[in-house]
Amino acid sequence: MLFFDIRKLQKLDAKRSPMFEKNRFAKLLTYFMVAFWAAYLIFFGVVLSFAFMEGCPNMEPYHVLNQGLIIFLILDFLIRFLFPTPIQAIKPFMLLPVPKRKVMSVFLIQSGLSGFNFFWLFFFVPFGLITITRFYGLTGVLGYSIGIWLLMVFNSYWSMLIKVLVRQKFLYILLIIPVYGALTLIEFLPETGWLSTFTMNLGEGFILWNPAAFIGILIAILIMGYINYQIQLRLIYNELSRKDDLNISHISSYSFFDRYGNVGEYMRLELKMMFRNKTPKSQFWMLLVCVCMFVAFLSFDIYGEGSFMNDFMCLYCYIVFGIMTLSQVMAIEGNYINGLMVRRETIFNMLRAKYYLQCIFLVLPFVLCLIPVFLGKLPLLMSLGYLFFAMGPVFACMLQLAVYNDKTMPLNVGLMGKRQNNNKYQSMITIAAMFIPLVINRILTGIFDQETASIVMIVMGLAVFFTHRFWIYNIYQRFMKRRYQNMENFRNTR
Amino acid sequence: MEIKIEQLKKCYGSHVALDIDNYTIPEGKIVGLVGNNGAGKTTLFRLILDLLKADQGNVCIGDINVAESEKWKDYTGAYMDESFLIDYLTPEEYFYFVGKMCGLDKATVEERTAPYERFMNGEILGQKKLIRNLSAGNKQKVGIVAALLNHPQLLILDEPFNFLDPSSQSALKHLLRNYHEQTQATILVSSHNLNHTVDISSKIILLEHGKIARDIENVDGNAEMELETYFEIND
Repeated sequence: MLFFDIRKLQKLDAKRSPMFEKNRFAKLLTYFMVAFWAAYLIFFGVVLSFAFMEGCPNMEPYHVLNQGLIIFLILDFLIRFLFPTPIQAIKPFMLLPVPKRKVMSVFLIQSGLSGFNFFWLFFFVPFGLITITRFYGLTGVLGYSIGIWLLMVFNSYWSMLIKVLVRQKFLYILLIIPVYGALTLIEFLPETGWLSTFTMNLGEGFILWNPAAFIGILIAILIMGYINYQIQLRLIYNELSRKDDLNISHISSYSFFDRYGNVGEYMRLELKMMFRNKTPKSQFWMLLVCVCMFVAFLSFDIYGEGSFMNDFMCLYCYIVFGIMTLSQVMAIEGNYINGLMVRRETIFNMLRAKYYLQCIFLVLPFVLCLIPVFLGKLPLLMSLGYLFFAMGPVFACMLQLAVYNDKTMPLNVGLMGKRQNNNKYQSMITIAAMFIPLVINRILTGIFDQETASIVMIVMGLAVFFTHRFWIYNIYQRFMKRRYQNMENFRNTR
Repeated sequence: MEIKIEQLKKCYGSHVALDIDNYTIPEGKIVGLVGNNGAGKTTLFRLILDLLKADQGNVCIGDINVAESEKWKDYTGAYMDESFLIDYLTPEEYFYFVGKMCGLDKATVEERTAPYERFMNGEILGQKKLIRNLSAGNKQKVGIVAALLNHPQLLILDEPFNFLDPSSQSALKHLLRNYHEQTQATILVSSHNLNHTVDISSKIILLEHGKIARDIENVDGNAEMELETYFEIND
């Protein structure tokens, strides 16, 4: 049967991917992250059930939760943007003597049965076990769980439809405005609350095994699945001949780098890499949003003055772009490593360029952090302390990965693409970059006052910065010693 | 620039990919490298360009052991496959980039790419396309032109006729011959196309299972007959 044949191929593909096969740490990390989020959701399910019992004594907790089901659906909708769509996977099957309609049906059914659709149950099942069993027993929880799963299946098709259309033309993203706009209107028009009432009743329908609730959601799934089927079938050829940036209207030359010789050339290359490839570009914008969000948190002082979270957010703003690029140092260059290696000392200049550019990028979070500084919520010295510490020890540690990164990073796949390539060094250094500066800051503030601690961090940062030529050359020499091994791995994972 | 190969051996597990005792590729000649798939052509090129570690022996370009010094990179140009191209650049940007690495300014790069305009056939320069959106043939041309930018004394091209249309293949043959006449550079070209290899090469090396099976001086078309006989026998 085609369904099982395709499933078998997908399993082999995952199992034999050079990225995954040779990387036990990546496997372990994936399992750990799944377990972590599952535990997190279970924890929230339990905590919220008791919180609703205490906070809303006049209502059943599941009614309170069901009134807010749309929030879960919107969150789920957004998360799903990280996953690929079936239309992207159909190419290898196009030349096989199998009708493409059948293949598309299989992919859509697979999406419906995807494990991710069950993931929210880690939250809803414990919540149901605590709140629903009191009146409706386990059958109530079972009905509720099935209902929630069906809602997630529907949501997966809805999200898939928008993703497929957005891949054709970004403007299709506007389709979500009338949909979510209408939902907002019917909820917030004076004295309505229709949406929350509807979802509350729908949830109760699931708990009571009301056939209308199940038939309704099944019909919605079938309709959304059918729309996806028709649209994706029509767009197959667009997808097969897809070229994202066929003609560029404006070619940035970044001519101000001309005066900096080979290093300037590599800085220019780095900027083009970031803004002309899907993976780094989407990472950059996503992280910029995170930085803005953290700056807003700092400005409104939501964690209170002197909180550990303020330190974390301030540090995060400064290191995040460095983590994005420097944790993948050489992995990006793995795509064209042979071209670089037949030129003299290119890697040394490239590493310097990467470092300088990251130092320049620090201006961006610094300017943003001036907002909480001017509002008196963040001491200027603390902001400068983390800035210079990021520029010094943090980036110096991250750049060490140039020696150890030996798997090519694809530049144009989705963030959840199957060929992600975190190795144990990347994970360890990234985690260390996010927490060790905080530990050092705590130790320093334990010895000195906050201002002196920040000044010490600035001095440490400057010391590393002023010696950068030496330690970057050391990295370059160590890379050259390992070059054959790394180049072979880059070739194998390209 | 002559290439000296001494006791060179490369194995992948128990499979011997390349095993050459002593051999010198003479200076100033166009040398063709032929052989069936898996004969070791690409492995040899990678070893010459220090992209692969030899299990035994070494390669010297001139007097320089390629694994010990990077000086040979100043006068060597090479194109093997797409991993030489930075595909998110336009061809012009890529040429400027390679030029800069070789110490050439923009004007010099433009001056040096101008003679290859016929070869590029108006499909590469000024198109406002990234390299990744070019056809396979045009990518190949970008790589070949980039390899020639620093006027190398040693030029290494792996299967350069692949993906090229017949006119471009012919243009490439002329280009290589002209370049050789003007510079007397050593040119090392591998190909499965025996006609093209015989047309341009003054010497042909035939590799078989990692070893040099024949070393043919191409005089009066004798190489073509010898190669045809060899490959027909193997058929």
